[in-house]
Amino acid sequence: MLYRATHRTAYYYSEPVSICHNQVHLTPRSCARQRVVETALHVEPRPARITSRTDCFGNIAASFAILEPHDRLVVTADSVVEVLAQAEAEPVPWEAARDRVRDAADDGAFEAMHFVFDSPFARAWPAVRNYAEDSFAAGRPLAEAAACLCGRIHRDFRYDAQATSVTTPVEEVFEERHGVCQDFAHIAIACLRSLGLAARYVSGYLRSAPGMVGAEASHAWISVYGPGGWIDFDPTNDVAAGLNHVTVAWGRDYGDVAPVRGVALGGGEHTVTVSVGVEPL
Amino acid sequence: MNSLAGTPTQPWRYPKLDGCFDEMFDASGAVRAHWEPLRAGLEAMGPEGLESRWSEGRRLIHDNGVTYNAYGEPGIAGRPWPMDPVPLLIGPEDWRFLEAAMIQRARLFNAILADLYGAQTLVRRRVLPAELVLGNPAFLRSVHGVEAPGGMFLHVYSADVARSADGRWHVLADRTQAPSGAGYALENRIVSLRVLPDLFAAARTSRLAAYFEKYRDTLVGLAPRHRDNPRIVLLTPGPFSEAYFEHSFLARYLGFTMVEGADLLVRDEQVYLKTLSGLLPVDVILRRQNDSYSDPLELRADSILGVPGLMQAVRAGTVAVANAIGSGLADGSMLAPFTGRLCRELLGEDLQLASAATEWLGDPDALARVTEALQSECSLVMKPAMAGGIVEPVFTAGLSRLRRAELAKRLSARPGRFLAQREIPLSAVPVWTGSGLAARHASIRLYATASGDSYRVMPGGLARVSGSAASLVVSVQKGGGSKDVWAVTGELDRQVSLLRPAPPPVDVSRATFDLPSRAADNLFWLGRYVERLEAGSRMLRAALLGLIQESNPFLAASRPVVLDLLAASGLASSGLSEPALVRQELLSLLYDPGRQNGVSWNALQVRRLGGLLRDRLSSDAWRVLHQLDSVLVAPAQPLPLRLVTGSEAVDRVIVHAASFAGFCQESMTRGQGWRFLDIGRRIDRASHAIELLRHSLTVERRNERDWIQALLEITDCSLTYRSRYLTSLQADLAIDLLLIDEANPRSVAFQLARLAEHIELLPDAPAGGRRRIESRLALKLLTAVRVVPLDRLVPADGGNRPALEAMLTQISADLDELSAALTRSYLSHAGPAQPLG
Repeated sequence: MLYRATHRTAYYYSEPVSICHNQVHLTPRSCARQRVVETALHVEPRPARITSRTDCFGNIAASFAILEPHDRLVVTADSVVEVLAQAEAEPVPWEAARDRVRDAADDGAFEAMHFVFDSPFARAWPAVRNYAEDSFAAGRPLAEAAACLCGRIHRDFRYDAQATSVTTPVEEVFEERHGVCQDFAHIAIACLRSLGLAARYVSGYLRSAPGMVGAEASHAWISVYGPGGWIDFDPTNDVAAGLNHVTVAWGRDYGDVAPVRGVALGGGEHTVTVSVGVEPL
Repeated sequence: MNSLAGTPTQPWRYPKLDGCFDEMFDASGAVRAHWEPLRAGLEAMGPEGLESRWSEGRRLIHDNGVTYNAYGEPGIAGRPWPMDPVPLLIGPEDWRFLEAAMIQRARLFNAILADLYGAQTLVRRRVLPAELVLGNPAFLRSVHGVEAPGGMFLHVYSADVARSADGRWHVLADRTQAPSGAGYALENRIVSLRVLPDLFAAARTSRLAAYFEKYRDTLVGLAPRHRDNPRIVLLTPGPFSEAYFEHSFLARYLGFTMVEGADLLVRDEQVYLKTLSGLLPVDVILRRQNDSYSDPLELRADSILGVPGLMQAVRAGTVAVANAIGSGLADGSMLAPFTGRLCRELLGEDLQLASAATEWLGDPDALARVTEALQSECSLVMKPAMAGGIVEPVFTAGLSRLRRAELAKRLSARPGRFLAQREIPLSAVPVWTGSGLAARHASIRLYATASGDSYRVMPGGLARVSGSAASLVVSVQKGGGSKDVWAVTGELDRQVSLLRPAPPPVDVSRATFDLPSRAADNLFWLGRYVERLEAGSRMLRAALLGLIQESNPFLAASRPVVLDLLAASGLASSGLSEPALVRQELLSLLYDPGRQNGVSWNALQVRRLGGLLRDRLSSDAWRVLHQLDSVLVAPAQPLPLRLVTGSEAVDRVIVHAASFAGFCQESMTRGQGWRFLDIGRRIDRASHAIELLRHSLTVERRNERDWIQALLEITDCSLTYRSRYLTSLQADLAIDLLLIDEANPRSVAFQLARLAEHIELLPDAPAGGRRRIESRLALKLLTAVRVVPLDRLVPADGGNRPALEAMLTQISADLDELSAALTRSYLSHAGPAQPLG
């Protein structure tokens, strides 16, 4: 599937901002099931320059600064990407995936090792492990167990855009059983890591489809490492991530790949509006 | 055992501590050879001699304001630095070992960091557990793959070392983040040289200055550009950090500008210092804050201390940071279980100085062993393996069975977060009790600075001693003390003059030229608050005297006038006349620090700003501010407070404020810093005089003489008036003296003339184009008072004086505008930042 994805983030300030510095993860990356055809980043007011680099996870991070007073900041990413279907995962017992990360020395497994341990937004603790274990019976194939876990999160947790914010701790989400796509992804990641599996956070977009949530803004799902490679699941919609999911970046959790991060001097109160459009071409 | 120890008959002995090595005495009770000259020297001077010398040492520590900040006790005052006059001596053989071992360990830790932020072979080959690196919050992924200039991560490496009972040395913890304490070691040395100069020379030990010169050279050599004269800044987390004193002390000593994150700005991948003269490129950052807080854009987003974009500049190689960002990963004891193997793997050498035996509990076997050990009495120290775990070490010795079981449970819940280290029974050292010696336990922090591709060790260090003989905790935060460390190298240091120790090297400091906008802002407000403090105190004194000397008809007459003026200045409540209430009001204005614009409140502001400007005030000026505290402590007993005591306190405040001004006038260089301090002061003094004039003399008063009298008294112009005009009090003469007379340092005209001079000499405003506004306002103000005819302000036929009123109102408005314009042009760069997410 060929898509045009447009992601617009606008900040409006009550007082002028004298200087702002930003780092954005808005440029989709190419990977096994995705090819980036074209991509462009527009910033208003125009910064003197935009510097791009590849971050430690292989994502494209762009940085810019606006050094003149301004009372609004609009960042628009406009990309054309081709999304391919996810390959069928081989049915291997989940323990094999766990042991491979721990013991293997090849580059793939070593890379996966970055995603096994606690990270600031996705920490495991005993209750989470207990919750996860119900899906991970001994010898159960990894893909099936992970799908089962994501299905349970989808059923047990209520989608509520008002209930949480970027700073809500994962423990609170788990207790209250509500949140948004990013919270569900963090819960799933914490569950998988509590079992010794490597799990990463994927930031991207969802093509609007009947019965699916999360298309109006940036979306998030998870990826779990198996001997055959990484497998993507979307716990918010209880589906394997497929032709409707456009990948932008991945990391240990939201903090590694926040779409827009910045620091502004001045500005008073600010409001943000975010809109995402994914159009098939 | 020596039962006579430490008694008046044998003041230079002390009771031996069991189960540990003694630094001063050998097993037979004889003084170790390298201590003998010191012991002999102490014996010769006698307890009284040492005590009297030490009282001078204590005074030096107090007067220099050597302090540290206690955790959870935010304050500017800080606690006095605890130091013991008896140095800790390390003999030649031990010192040769420690010196070589420190160099090896510094090289090792640098190599470990270079691997972990590069190829990561140590993790791939499982030499180090992946969890300790990849699962460690101190592993900063933004740094991974960024080449450190010259492969150097650690420009300073530091280790806490201690001796076990058999006399062998062990490392308790490695310090790689931003090693602290070197400044305190230097300060201790300065004090001990003052107290025991003769004994220092006799002990054949080395001076520290050469080490700090090397340290400075190393930092200069890091500059990617401007190598001949790089701009180096010391980045401090700010006045609430534990070692803020040390930061300002080192900045002054090394000749660097001390800055906070908000003073720096990244523009096009280059770090700049925001100064009055605009943005100046920064070449090297001596980092004294945790690396994870250094850049809110790429590292911890919740940091308000960092510099957004710093990592971009680091990656671009336009700035060097020492120690490199990421170095915090190796800080603490996390690597202790692995150092022996790491040394063989990375350096191909056997490790000379080992860590105290340490196990990482993420290893299931280690966890089992420690859990087993906790079933019975044991002497272990539980430490965090990485940031974010337990912060304070837990000592298991003496813990009850229940507490040990609780601890075991905590460990097993998250074993990977913990280390278990065998407790070292720290060696015994002598401390001075005031009449003799007593024993305490000690550990020593040693320092090595990069020198080429190797290291150079500071010939000394910071010894920290326990608070009691029974305690093995040597934290200054927990009631412990500190000592100077004399490395007895056996060679007579040629630089040492026996009688007069050479002063520390003084470098031409570019700090004088680099005035960060934030510092200028603080100086401006310091000037304003010092003036307010003095003006408020003068009014209060006049009011207090009016109450005390009721029999003096003259004072009694002006009393209501003074109270009226106090109220008009927004200090006292208006309409008070009942003596008991007046008295209560005045004392509260004096002593209540919560009372806005009161004397104590102003003094608090002055102290707060003084603390922020520690590195920019002369030590005399700073000392005067420092002593304000003791003046304004309300006498606790007996209540009620006495007016006389109050008026004496006010007198002292006035003297302090005046001597502060004097020191600034006499000993601050005429740089922009002094200029902003004086601008603040002049603006406030002019405003105050205008308020007083406007309230007293613009309307017709029946008792005008009382008003004039009070006015002259409060503004300290009585004497000038009487010496100039032998006539009785006249409004026109008083107005001339206070408003127009440019020769009177208390007049409005005098202040405006100084302001105009200052403003002409300010650098071109960094904001650009605003300079004219300040100049125009200053000129307008000065011209107004110069050209106005006195008889227009004070018509001969009496009545109200609307022309005077109008003029004062205009001056007041223009002064406010001037202050705002200066702030806009020069001082407003340091506004608060907010995160966007």
